[in-house]
Amino acid sequence: MDGSNEQIQFSWGKLRGKGGVKMDTQFYESFTLDNVKYSLYDCVYLFKHGDPEPYIGKILKIWEQNRSKKVKILWFFLPKEIQKYLRGSVVENEIFLASGDGIGLADINPLEAVAGKCTVICISKDERNRQPSPQEQAMADYIFYRVFDVKNCTLSDQLPDKIAGLEVKVLLNPKDELVISSPNAVNVPLNPNADDGLAATAPPPHSAVKEENESPDAAVPLSHPAAKEVAAKLPARVPLSQSVVSKEEQKPVAVIPISESVIKKEDKKSAAAISLSQSAIKEEEKPVASTPHPRSAVVENNAKYTQSQNAHGGERPPKKLKLSQEATVKNMIPAVTETRPLELPSRQADRSKWFKISWDDKLRRADEQGTLVYIQNLDIHFAAADIEELIREALQLSCTAKPINHPTYDDPNNGKAYAIFRTKNDADSAISKINSGLVVGGRPLYCSKGLLKVPKSSGTFVGHLSLHNIKIGQKQREEQKKAVSTSHCSQPNTIEYDLALDWMLLRAKQEKKFEILHKHHKDGRKGFASIGSKTAKAGN
Amino acid sequence: METSKEKASKDKEYADFEEKVKRTIYIDHLSPQVTTPVIKAALAQCANVTNVEFIVNYTIPYDIPSAALVELDDEMQAKAAVELMTDFPFIIGGMPRPVHATHAKAEMFRDRPPCPGLRKDFRWIKQGDGEYEVMRKLKNLAKRHESENMALIKNLLDEEKELAKQQQEALNGNGKKYEMLEDVVSDGTIRKLAHHYGVRLDD
Repeated sequence: MDGSNEQIQFSWGKLRGKGGVKMDTQFYESFTLDNVKYSLYDCVYLFKHGDPEPYIGKILKIWEQNRSKKVKILWFFLPKEIQKYLRGSVVENEIFLASGDGIGLADINPLEAVAGKCTVICISKDERNRQPSPQEQAMADYIFYRVFDVKNCTLSDQLPDKIAGLEVKVLLNPKDELVISSPNAVNVPLNPNADDGLAATAPPPHSAVKEENESPDAAVPLSHPAAKEVAAKLPARVPLSQSVVSKEEQKPVAVIPISESVIKKEDKKSAAAISLSQSAIKEEEKPVASTPHPRSAVVENNAKYTQSQNAHGGERPPKKLKLSQEATVKNMIPAVTETRPLELPSRQADRSKWFKISWDDKLRRADEQGTLVYIQNLDIHFAAADIEELIREALQLSCTAKPINHPTYDDPNNGKAYAIFRTKNDADSAISKINSGLVVGGRPLYCSKGLLKVPKSSGTFVGHLSLHNIKIGQKQREEQKKAVSTSHCSQPNTIEYDLALDWMLLRAKQEKKFEILHKHHKDGRKGFASIGSKTAKAGN
Repeated sequence: METSKEKASKDKEYADFEEKVKRTIYIDHLSPQVTTPVIKAALAQCANVTNVEFIVNYTIPYDIPSAALVELDDEMQAKAAVELMTDFPFIIGGMPRPVHATHAKAEMFRDRPPCPGLRKDFRWIKQGDGEYEVMRKLKNLAKRHESENMALIKNLLDEEKELAKQQQEALNGNGKKYEMLEDVVSDGTIRKLAHHYGVRLDD
């Protein structure tokens, strides 16, 4: 089966020259990635796997060596990254160009890490810098006029002669005024004209695995400049959960064959981790029916764009797809490949799987519909796929299941899982059958309906003490806030050391208690198992 | 049912997963306020953190502290980190309750790939079978174990609260003592007292 075609459009632009020790490196002046043209000294976004926010950098070099494509990026700093060294006020949308020598100046990255273009205008009064027009300045995503020396960690508005070995002149505003198209004019044909490389029109998202897959409601993903606009407008860069804006997640693809199925990209991992805002997105997409053709879909989108922009306020441009794709594909494979080959005939009907819904939401919804079953006494080594397969073989019913455990407190003898069936009847029949006598590997399973009532964790934490009644000055309050994020190994000369030791002692005691209890349980069960086999032999 | 190719890929997947498990540590007794960057910063002194996954509580009906699976760069770092945290009270978040770390185990991961070669045979047992009674008793036993487990957890949580209360009281007491000292020093009473008793203050 032709799995998801991950080929993101790419082509080289103008050649620049050859180099390298073995003359095997080819330098270029520009390239087109995903239908967006990037040239030398363009400012781009880069996503690092694991970080929700993009980095901004300027392309210094582009080359290919041994079939790997690389770019050298000169970094810009966000105000919050150099907060310690910042003095004075910060202009809106200001960023700082790295200068000097050392770590943090520039990096070599794979070309595929580039996630989009942005406009950065230099407003320095330096004579080498072409002064930007007011419109340019207003339209730009970011502006800079100061440089941050990474070696001395100092800020300065005097531009040095050279940065990273290049004349500073080439790093400043380009000769021609940039044609900055308003992000809203994304109604402009989707084909980012190759010539019009500077106009940051809506490059189809990196995630556009196959264009057909684009959901009509991919408001956030599609227009990159749109996304950037959001980014620029919301200086509070709320670091969102990793999965949140993964474009691929937002695609209720009903009609299109599963080959590139969106399922693959369900980021279940993140779902559990932090999913609150994610569920908000999901709610939005569900009602939207999907249309195959992306272009018309996009136009539709732009109408919805403003509305969803508000809804998604604070969303960041989508994460770097390729990297997160791999992670998500890996996650999904166990669950999906198991069920798919066996469920071919019923695939069309199984649309519920095509909607990207976080596991938490699924649980809640299933609970409401009465399709959620809580199974206990499984072997704790079972994985999601094992459980699903088991249910299918034993009951001829399909379901999605996930084992749940809380390693600190859970009984290692008793594995638990939640299974979501397709209909209420399925769930009911499963329960009655399992309860009446399904034995797996010598363990009788039992189950019940519905979600366990688990209280939300309160924000406070037992054992976090606070000094009361102390008049705290402003400075100290700040320090206290920062204290939440300080971590260290306690030294034996502080009061907190004694306290900490108390806790460690308590914890050791608790562990022992658990051990004893669990061992006791295990022995109890073994006792039964032997009785069981004896009667079986006797019975035969 | 499985082609050999599928099986090979599954085996490999599980092998990869096991690798990951070896590199991952499990940190417990975390404050709910602790977030990914905090953990990353905390461990930066001894290990490089690749990934942090918080464990969501689905089964324990009490207010339990947070826990997380933290993936590090390699096994060596994982060992070092766990040792560090077991030998010394390691505090994330600046408050006296230290965190607890152990090596991760395969069953801790929610999204784990299926373990190849796991016994998944099942049987249906009906009322008349000889084994039925036994299985029923076993089921009841399991249920009882479960509630015993929960009871223990509750008991432990209560103990923790006790300890916290104790410590808080002691801390408050100390705090007041220091406060008093500070007040006395700052408003000059101490000088007068020293003069009165003929005690030199500079000692």
